[in-house]
Amino acid sequence: MYSGINISQTDARPMYLQIMEQIRARIAAGDWPAGKELPSIRALAAALKVSVITIKRAYLDLENEGVIVTRHGKGSFVADVNGLAGELKEAKLDEHLAEAAHIGRQLGLTEEDLAARLSRAHRNLETQK
Amino acid sequence: MNPLTRKLIAREFYMHRWLIGISMIAGLAGLALVARGGNMNFNVGFLVWLTTIVAFGAVIAMFGIATERKERVMHWVLSLPVAHGDYVRIKVAALLACFILPWFLLSAAAIGLILLQAHLPDGLLPVTVLLCAFMLANYTFVVCSALHANSEGLMTMVIIVHNTVITLFMFGVMAIDGIRTHLHDPAAAWNSAFWTVLAVELAVFLVLSSLPFFVAARRRDFT
Amino acid sequence: MSTSNPIEFRGVRKAFHFFTLDDLSLDLEPGQILGFVGPNGAGKSTTIRLALGLLTPDAGEIRVLGHRMPEAQAIAKRDIGYVSSEMRLFQNATLAWHLRFIASIYPGWDEAYAATLLKRFNLRAEQTVKGLSSGEQMKAVLMLALARRPKLLVLDEPTSNFDPVARHEVLNEFTDVLRDEDRSILFSSHNTLDVERISDRIAFIDRGQLIDSRDKEDFLERWRRIQLQVPPGTALPEVPHVVDRVTDGQFVTLTTNQFSGDLLARLGGTVREVHRMSLEEIFVANVMHHREARGQ
Repeated sequence: MYSGINISQTDARPMYLQIMEQIRARIAAGDWPAGKELPSIRALAAALKVSVITIKRAYLDLENEGVIVTRHGKGSFVADVNGLAGELKEAKLDEHLAEAAHIGRQLGLTEEDLAARLSRAHRNLETQK
Repeated sequence: MNPLTRKLIAREFYMHRWLIGISMIAGLAGLALVARGGNMNFNVGFLVWLTTIVAFGAVIAMFGIATERKERVMHWVLSLPVAHGDYVRIKVAALLACFILPWFLLSAAAIGLILLQAHLPDGLLPVTVLLCAFMLANYTFVVCSALHANSEGLMTMVIIVHNTVITLFMFGVMAIDGIRTHLHDPAAAWNSAFWTVLAVELAVFLVLSSLPFFVAARRRDFT
Repeated sequence: MSTSNPIEFRGVRKAFHFFTLDDLSLDLEPGQILGFVGPNGAGKSTTIRLALGLLTPDAGEIRVLGHRMPEAQAIAKRDIGYVSSEMRLFQNATLAWHLRFIASIYPGWDEAYAATLLKRFNLRAEQTVKGLSSGEQMKAVLMLALARRPKLLVLDEPTSNFDPVARHEVLNEFTDVLRDEDRSILFSSHNTLDVERISDRIAFIDRGQLIDSRDKEDFLERWRRIQLQVPPGTALPEVPHVVDRVTDGQFVTLTTNQFSGDLLARLGGTVREVHRMSLEEIFVANVMHHREARGQ
C-alpha cells in the first residue's frame, strides 16, 4: 500500500526526515487530501520495514509543523488547513532558495549576481515549454 | 506427562524404529536356530541372539546421544518449552524404553524357549536370567557414560568396554560353582549364588540409570 | 520491578574462565525492538542464553515475560521464539516432520501463516534437513519460530549466514511483528544496517559490559563528525564532549557524542562540514572511547 514511499539507508538524510518529506510531497501534490487519515504508526512501520520510533518521530515533527493533526485515540490526519498544499510548496521553495544563497556565498556571488542567475534559470524554464 | 514429553519420547522410538525392528528379527532368528536342536545350531544361534542385543545397545546409545551432540540439535530443542534437566530425564527414559522393548521380547523368548524345549534343560534358566539382566545393566552403563562423557575418545573406549565385557561376564559367572554345576540339571536351581549375582546386577542398573538424574540433569549451564 | 516488561535484567553477573559479564541491567519494553550490538566475544550470546535460562547467573535477577529465569524457563519458553545462528534441526527428519512436531506442542500455531512463510522463504516441506544449505536451515528455524506468533522473539545473529535476498525475506517478517504492540523483539546482530533500520532502542555491549543503551533516534541525533579548518595562528576552540580528535595539518575532525547547536556555535567559523554518523560508525567510536576510558 505504501510501496511508493522509499527509505534509503544510504541517503545522507536520516530516515525520519525522508519519511516526512515523502509525506509532505504527497500532501503538496494533492494525493493525500486534507482530512485523509494517515496509516497508524505501527502499520506504516511494518509496511516500510522501519522502527516504530522513527515513524513516531516523523509524525511528531509533522504535527509540530502543522502538517498533520493527531487526535488521541483516533489516529493522525492530514491537517484540514486551507492552502496547506500551497504552503508546503512555498516552504520547499524557501528551502531551495536558502541553499542557493548559501552556495552563492561560498562562490562569492553578490546579491545582484544571485538574482541574475535566478532570472536566467526562470527564462530557461520558459523557453523549454 | 505433558505433550512435549510424549512427543520427545515418541520421536526417540521413531528415530530408532528400523534398529528396533531389525534387532528383534535377528534375535528371534537366532533363537529359532537354537530351537532346531544340535550343538552347532545352539552355539551359532546363541551367539546371534547375544550379539544382536549387545550391538543394538551400543548403536542406540551412540545414535541417541553422541550423534545428537555432534548435530547440535540440543540447542534448538532447548528453545522448546523444556528445561535442560527435563530434557536429560526425558532422554534417559526414552533411551531405556527403546532398549527395553526389544530386550524384554528377546529375553522372554529365550526363557520361553528353554522352558518349552525338551533338549534345553531348565538348569540353563538361572544363567540365562543373569545374562539378560547383565545386558540391561551393561546398557545403562553405556547410556550413562554417553550422557556424561564429553570426548569422542572416551566414548569409543566405553563402547569397546561395553562390547567386550559380556565375554568376561560369561567367564566370570561360569566360574561360580553354584551356577556352573547346575547348568545341565533338568530343574532350575534358584540358589544363593544366583540371587547374589542378580542383586548386584540390579543394583548396578538402578545406580547407573539414576545417575544422570543427579549429575547430567543437574548441569545448570548449556554452553 | 514491574511484571510488564518482557525482559528485565538486574545486576546480572556471569563469570567464565576468560570472560565475565558484569553488572548487566537491561530492559526490553513491550512492543519494542531492541537491537543488541557488540564485537565478537562481547557477551551478546551469553546475555541471550541467560535470558533463555540456558545459563544460570552468578548474581542478579532475570525476569522474562514475568517469569524468573532460569527456574521458570519451561513455562516462559511457551511464549518465546528463540533463534540462534548455531541451531540445527534434526538432520534426518523432514521440514514437514518439524512443522507437525511444533504444531502439536504449541497452541498458538498458525497453520496458514506457516504455509505462507514456507513459500516466502522458498522452502519445501518434503525436504530433509540434511539436504538444506546452512542459510536454508536457518530460514527453517526462523519459520518454525515465527509461525507460532510468540509474544517475544529473541534472535541471536539470525541472518549472519544470509545472502542479501534471504535477509530481505526474513527482515520483512520481523517488521511484520511490529504491527502488534504486544509483541517484542530482542535481536543481536553484526549487521548494523539492519539494526539501525528496525530497532527502536539500541544497546551496545563490549567486553562483558553494557556501555550504552538508548533510543535509536537519540544515538543518531547525538553523534556527529565535525570537520574544521583551523588557520595557523588560531587556537581550536575548547569544547566539551569530544570523544575523538584527528588532526591533519590545518584540518581537524572531531567526533562528539553530545551534539548541540550550542556546541556548533562555540566552534564558530572554523566549521566546514557536519556529518551525521551511521550506527556502525557510532558503534565503533563508542567502543573505542569506552576502551580508552577504561585504560585498555
